[in-house]
Amino acid sequence: MTQPADAPRTPAPRRRSRDMAGRRARLAQDKGTRPRRVPPPPPLTGVLVARRASKSYSDLVALAPLDLAVAAGERVALVGHNGSGKSTFLRLAAGLLELTAGEIEVAGYPVGAPEARAALSFVPDNPVLYDDLSVREHLAYIASLHGVDASEAQLDELIAAIGLAERADDLPARFSRGLRQKAALAVGLVRPFQVLLVDEPFVGLDVPGRQALLSLLDEAHAAGAAIVVATHEPSYVERVDRCLALRDGRLIHDGPSTPDEVVRLVGDQAYAAGP
Amino acid sequence: MFTADPDADLEYSLAEWRRWRKRRRIAELAWIDALYHAELTGIACAVAFYALAGVIGDGALSASQMADVTRSGDAWLGLAAAVVLAVGLRSGSRGGPLVLEQADVRHVLLSPVDRGRALRGPALRQLRFQLFVAACGGLAVGFLAAHRLAGSTAGWTAGATSFTLATVALAFGAALLASSLRLPSWAGTALAIGLVGAAAADVAGVIPASPTAPWGRIGMWPVQPAAPGIVAVAISLLVLGAGLARLGRVSLESAERRSRLVGQLRFAATLQDVRTVVVLRRQLALELPRLRPWVRLRVRGTERRAVWRRGLRGALRWPAARVGRLVLLGVVAGLALRGVWAGTTPLLALAGVALFLAGLDATEAMAQELDHPSLTESVPVAASSLRVRHLPVAVAVMALVAAVGVAAAVLVEPGTGALELALICAPAAALAGLAGAGASLVSTPDPMEAMLMPPEVTGAYQAFRIARPLVLAIAGTLPVLAARAAAGAGGSATATAGIAALAVVAGFGVFVAWLHSREALQQALQAAFAPQKDARR
Repeated sequence: MTQPADAPRTPAPRRRSRDMAGRRARLAQDKGTRPRRVPPPPPLTGVLVARRASKSYSDLVALAPLDLAVAAGERVALVGHNGSGKSTFLRLAAGLLELTAGEIEVAGYPVGAPEARAALSFVPDNPVLYDDLSVREHLAYIASLHGVDASEAQLDELIAAIGLAERADDLPARFSRGLRQKAALAVGLVRPFQVLLVDEPFVGLDVPGRQALLSLLDEAHAAGAAIVVATHEPSYVERVDRCLALRDGRLIHDGPSTPDEVVRLVGDQAYAAGP
Repeated sequence: MFTADPDADLEYSLAEWRRWRKRRRIAELAWIDALYHAELTGIACAVAFYALAGVIGDGALSASQMADVTRSGDAWLGLAAAVVLAVGLRSGSRGGPLVLEQADVRHVLLSPVDRGRALRGPALRQLRFQLFVAACGGLAVGFLAAHRLAGSTAGWTAGATSFTLATVALAFGAALLASSLRLPSWAGTALAIGLVGAAAADVAGVIPASPTAPWGRIGMWPVQPAAPGIVAVAISLLVLGAGLARLGRVSLESAERRSRLVGQLRFAATLQDVRTVVVLRRQLALELPRLRPWVRLRVRGTERRAVWRRGLRGALRWPAARVGRLVLLGVVAGLALRGVWAGTTPLLALAGVALFLAGLDATEAMAQELDHPSLTESVPVAASSLRVRHLPVAVAVMALVAAVGVAAAVLVEPGTGALELALICAPAAALAGLAGAGASLVSTPDPMEAMLMPPEVTGAYQAFRIARPLVLAIAGTLPVLAARAAAGAGGSATATAGIAALAVVAGFGVFVAWLHSREALQQALQAAFAPQKDARR
């Protein structure tokens, strides 16, 4: 006896696991792909490594889980709108902020470990300096905290290179924004490092200051340090090996880039015009 | 590029530099200023000692009173210890108690110097100062109390000093532990409320002993067995030691936030700028508005009653911590007013202060207008009118606080009479709290004003300026006092409370009128006095 065409079909015996497998296979076929095991991502290696590093403030996600590796001697530009997560990433890598999840390693050590602190120098966009120390005293102090036995001539050389020779014995507390920025850069460069993180270094600097900064960054790069610069300066994007673009706390580009491409990625003409 | 010496003794270098900076600071110290500060501190201490002597009194206690002190003294001292410990736990859960130089966080704590050793100096300095203050307080209280209590002066003084020292050591150690263990803020608050609640229950006789009662035993050494107190001292030292041992695990994020904000907070407190203190305290506690409001109000282009809606939108974004604080303040105010009704008159001040603090939260939208005068001046509405338009939402918030207070007061001893009285008194008290907070916001301190005054007047004027809003807030709680007096005299408590509450509401009306016409009144006064000045010239 044949079954009428419009009759409901006899339900098949329930085989949950096989049915689910079949459903996955059908879904995969619908997408034009075959079900396959996704291989684990290759392990990240480098002098600065972030694995699923994220930061949030209650319901505000400042940085979505980020995987990233920066190799020794690599020059990286970090670009993005205001509030895109650039400074958050740099401050997380420096150890000034605590990770909500994930991990960051510097020179193979977890961020915050003494070895990681010794290997990383961070120059923030808002310089914080001692009120009672001159520029020269700052450099001597920071150098001694890192075990650097620098001579007075070496310190003077750095001060001259950054363009503060005339103000070496003045208190940075009385400096303008640009001069404080220069002092902070000198403080960041007076110690050994494998990774240099610089946040918006060109803001507030005059043209000679920018030139001095670029040559100092080149010098650090030539010495084998990895340099990560969060910037709005298109001319710097041309000099780097790699450009990371962030938008709303997410990494939207990782690779070589040109200023025009950065404008396209970030969607902001301000990049084309510079700061 | 510079290179580091791997064998360099970084901690020694840090200590040497710190010593050098200290020597230079001392060399550059203006001794006249230092002496002036010492003189002011001495005067303040003398005034505090005199006030304390007035509070403690000097008549010897009777045998039955002494028996009461012996029986319940440890519970009361345990409550004091619980409050101090609660402050420590709350501070620790927000990254305290250490307050470091911001540059130290950036340069010392980010260098490979051992953080534990780098922080030991600042921590011990802070602890030393707190222990010194605690010892002075303990000595003063013990010495004054000994005049009234049976036993030797030396015994009571030693007991009180040991109690304050052990309590402060415990609180400091607990704060360090909470900070290094990254105790969440909510957990710190919950622990603090639990400890204070347990100690209060011990005082009320609901439970046989609170966790902090052994610390109370330290202060009662002359009349109670010493063993629990000795255990408490040992625990204090243990907790302090554990806290100091974990110094290096401090959170840099919290340390930097504290180092930035605490300095500003102290400066604002010096200027008696209540609004700035409130804003900085919120930043310190990371009390941020919610991204997603509790209830989303639709934005429909140009809106009628825009100021009301703006206030409502702001209130709907309040974080849970602020909502919780308002509920707590409502409960405190309700229970305090209940205590006033039961006969403890000084609780009026507690109720008034609680409602004043709630008023500071309720007037948040108005406060923001005052924070940004350029924005306020850019709209074609008079600033005074704008301020008054912010009041309805603030009144609504205070009505909710009053409702919480009513519930708390009535639940203590349910009854129709209590409910009627609470429903009359609580709204009036809430309105007065709001008026006090509003007056405090509008009357911001003017440093120039103080500088232009004769020095003899400045102190009294500043005291008046600080006290005025609090007096307003406390005045709103007077209907409870009036009702109690009427009930004591055999009259109708409800009717008397109603009349007194009407007077408070009328006073609130005067406040609204003053808020609306403040600038006009000032201009009228200036115009009235200007011709006289011209005539004198």
